[in-house]
Amino acid sequence: MIGVIIEKEIRDLIGSTKFAVTFAAAALLIVGAFYVGATRHKLNVEQDEASRVENLRQMEGLTDWLRVESNRIFLPPQPLAALVSGVSNDVGRTVSVVGRGELTAYGSRYSEDPIYAAFRFLDLEFIFQIVLSLFAILLGFDAVSGEKELGTLRLTLAHAVPRSTYILGKIAGACIALSVSVLLAVAIGCLLLPVMGVALTGTEWARLGLVVLTGMLYFGVFLTMSVFVSSMTHRTSSSFLVLLVVWVMSVMVIPRATVLLAGRAVAVPTAEEVAAQKASYRIQLWKETRAQMLDFKPNGTAPDPAQEFTQFMDSLTDVRESRIAEHSGRLNEERYNRQLEQQKLAFALARLSPSASLALAASTLAGTSLSLADHFKNEAAAYQQEYAAFMKEKTGVVPGAGMVMIRVGDEEPQPIDPAELPEFTYDPLPLDKTVEAAAVDIGLLAFFNLLFFAGAFTAFLRYDVR
Amino acid sequence: MNNHTTIPGQPLIEAWQLTKRYEDGVLALDHVSFSVEPGRLLAILGGNGAGKTTTINLFLNFLEPTEGEARINGIVTHKDPLAAKKQVAYVSENVMLYLNFTAVQNLDYFARLGGRTDYRRDDYRDVLLRVGLPEEAHNKKLKSFSKGMRQKCGIAIAILKDAPAILLDEPTSGLDPKAGREFIQLLDSLRNEGKAILMSTHDIFRAKEAADTIAIMDNGRMLMQKEASELKGEDLESLYMRYMAGHAAQPAAAAESAR
Repeated sequence: MIGVIIEKEIRDLIGSTKFAVTFAAAALLIVGAFYVGATRHKLNVEQDEASRVENLRQMEGLTDWLRVESNRIFLPPQPLAALVSGVSNDVGRTVSVVGRGELTAYGSRYSEDPIYAAFRFLDLEFIFQIVLSLFAILLGFDAVSGEKELGTLRLTLAHAVPRSTYILGKIAGACIALSVSVLLAVAIGCLLLPVMGVALTGTEWARLGLVVLTGMLYFGVFLTMSVFVSSMTHRTSSSFLVLLVVWVMSVMVIPRATVLLAGRAVAVPTAEEVAAQKASYRIQLWKETRAQMLDFKPNGTAPDPAQEFTQFMDSLTDVRESRIAEHSGRLNEERYNRQLEQQKLAFALARLSPSASLALAASTLAGTSLSLADHFKNEAAAYQQEYAAFMKEKTGVVPGAGMVMIRVGDEEPQPIDPAELPEFTYDPLPLDKTVEAAAVDIGLLAFFNLLFFAGAFTAFLRYDVR
Repeated sequence: MNNHTTIPGQPLIEAWQLTKRYEDGVLALDHVSFSVEPGRLLAILGGNGAGKTTTINLFLNFLEPTEGEARINGIVTHKDPLAAKKQVAYVSENVMLYLNFTAVQNLDYFARLGGRTDYRRDDYRDVLLRVGLPEEAHNKKLKSFSKGMRQKCGIAIAILKDAPAILLDEPTSGLDPKAGREFIQLLDSLRNEGKAILMSTHDIFRAKEAADTIAIMDNGRMLMQKEASELKGEDLESLYMRYMAGHAAQPAAAAESAR
């Protein structure tokens, strides 16, 4: 019997004008998100390539590696970031690496093209978060109350149909009809990627698959919630109104409100405050260095007094930079820990909303979560060491720390070859780590599905059919 | 076609001291008793709030009785609702079916829901023709159907269920005279097949035309139950109005006898 109900539900849903209109809109947006994402990714790759070439071009003609003030490295565009933007457009994509010192990423996509920041990109995450949740509500709000209003529920339950079977069939039918439709649109979108020349690796396909799975779980939450609310009300207008309020709270209010709440509950020093403390400490150490520099007297440890002075200054710089690094590290860590505490509180509260869980899980899986900035910085720091070793080999010193080194000698200057520079490669967080990080939110979405399903099931068993 | 077993002489539809008091204290049905044997039709007349639909809701187990029992073919509906529902077909006042489905698709769905997977397209065509729905309408979506056409589909669904008992809740409401006449003829044929029919209605004339027994309800009480033959020559409308106004000499006695 459940098969009969599922079949009817699928045919009834798919045959309705409401479905045709909402599905056409959702499908168009999903395919559109893939198209826009692929186009954007190709553009980003071109820009990234141009920036790399420009970076090396600036070094052409230099005859001494000491004249290389910095080497810019770039966060390479990730295809999944074009589908699930997360914070990828907000974080700096460029780091000027010198041999030592703190690294700062700058040049975010939004800072370069602020117009996109006004309304953000139309990506897959946005489609899932806004469009699919509305799609689920529009097609589920009248699942039970609509049948009651229409009168078909009385006729159906006048047959020997157990209520449990009926509600199971209804939910299963709606889930199958709507999920297959959405997955069809996603599949078309996925096909667009290789067609448009965006090649995904196996891991990226796996990540995309998990993002879609998370999206379907989120879709399921709103679908089961709609059936639940519909089973608690007797008029479609009431269930629609309730769902609209829940949707606004869940998608619009809770995630934003929790960030504000957490901001009030946990105070984090601003970046400017930390920078001021660092600058003050740096000035203090410079004063000490200057005093030591004035006291310098060659004692013949090197054949050449200039060379001895260079070694002396180098050792002073090493000590000073190490103290600055230690001090900065401490300040950064303190700020980072406060931020982490604030973030944990905000996310814990925000997870009351399935919408927040979707955003967190999808961006984590796509590698565009808040950890992107940290991960890029860590990768850049690792590269800095490689770069410092290279420069030391080439020049005998590690550049940076505000010191300008000039080579004195009568050797014939030879142009440097920028291609010799070590290449920066960015490795996103491994799949197992991201899955582990997203597991809580995926689990929460699954839990919400079960919760609303159980709610719909028990509410319908007691539903007043009259 | 009929797989239901009926015991000769046993009523197929039976209310015994059927009472329903809601949680807010309103007494919707007050110790109502009646029975409908195979091949007979009981019409319950009454105004809004008389308790007619409550009675039907109790037979369909959409409500549980506070006292008494509703029985379909001997099965107490609130004790074994699914078994009872297998024995009864139901047609509501405003038959509403799935508007995106054609008449045949609606029939097919409800037939299969009732466990009948043996019907073929010809069976659906035959039953739709029997209830007076022209063949050109069989494959049209219900959204284009008039109320009368939907009513015919509802009756076709009830016929296809092939249950020994039929509950009709205001079935002639909104039907034009021709459709009303055809409906009464259909009821005759169903009665001749041995079906027991309980019909709640406002329509005094159709009740007199179709019923074997006529009952009058008001405020949840059964005021009168008489064989149609006893009412021959009597102005049923005047009688009904007198009962409603409480002016008839009979009501009190009738109510007592109904208990």
